[in-house]
Amino acid sequence: MLRVSAQTTGTEIDLNAVLGDAAGAAKGIALGPELMNFAESLARRDADALAHSRAALLAAGGPAVLVDAAGVAANFQRMVRIADSIGIPVDDLNAETGRAVRAALRLSEFPGARNSGL
Amino acid sequence: MAAFDYSDAGLQIRPDIGAAHRNYWQTLARPGSWWTGSERVAIAQESRNALDCALCRRRRQALSPYGMAGEHDHDRALPEAAVDAVHRVVTDQGRITRRYVEDNVGRGLSKEAYVELVGVVVAVFSIDEFHRALGLPLEPLPAPLPGAISRYRPAHLREDIGFVPTVPPDGAVGPETDLWKGGRAANVIRALSLVPDALRDWRALAAVQYLSFEAMANYVKDADRAIDRMQMELVAGRVSAINECFY
Repeated sequence: MLRVSAQTTGTEIDLNAVLGDAAGAAKGIALGPELMNFAESLARRDADALAHSRAALLAAGGPAVLVDAAGVAANFQRMVRIADSIGIPVDDLNAETGRAVRAALRLSEFPGARNSGL
Repeated sequence: MAAFDYSDAGLQIRPDIGAAHRNYWQTLARPGSWWTGSERVAIAQESRNALDCALCRRRRQALSPYGMAGEHDHDRALPEAAVDAVHRVVTDQGRITRRYVEDNVGRGLSKEAYVELVGVVVAVFSIDEFHRALGLPLEPLPAPLPGAISRYRPAHLREDIGFVPTVPPDGAVGPETDLWKGGRAANVIRALSLVPDALRDWRALAAVQYLSFEAMANYVKDADRAIDRMQMELVAGRVSAINECFY
């Protein structure tokens, strides 16, 4: 979805942002490093880092940005649990875009890949 | 004070978020398809207990999550198989297997009950995570409401994806007409469809915390959001990567 939204807007981005690369997050995405750090500290359940990243995102983007980022992060804390608990495969394993992203991000190393026969 | 009153949070939380959270709390308290109101609230409580469970912490570090003996830290309000399922969904979902889900049927946890349980866990978990993300205290769980379960099961089901039957893409008809349109649905949307209300709850929360199904087609920026789609997907992608989400 990140790649598709970047392509749609003609923005050059670095997918390594998804893997925690701060320089990558800064490329083409407004508040990228702050958003990345906020998402990461929530998912890692690091209370100190979360307090710090929350304050940084609030200072840089304001309360509305923080709230919407919190909503998205909370939503995707749920999505992985739905996908893995039910064991669903990816929808189109052979689509070129998906294959390229999975290869770039080494997603096939994740345990849930077995649900797609990998 | 009303549940999910965000007026004092000082963060300009959109009113639709509070309304959706309040609606879900009311749904949570009511009897569902396969669990009573008391059981649904107990499942919600277990989703919170799981985060501090000593057995879950040890099991997460183990090479295999299925050989470790012990007892979860829990409230004894649910059958053991249900407690274990809740704790796994919260703390170790990546290692849930088809065999685990099918063996649970023999332990009294039907696939229908499992799907509703997953639906409750992920809904409560995502609301709790929203609070944690913003540094807000967790909302007290609602008082359960009495009543009988419906035992509702969709007429059109197929076993072609995942560990449980799901409504097929062309099966959103009759009482399931509202689940999706056009005879097409991504697997993650079909995932909870064995219990249609679980999917409806998921969709209602996703519409305010992320985007509605309709708004997902806009890859630029939703007019009602403060962040654009790339920003949203960066957050989504980083959370998913840390959770090792292949899907």
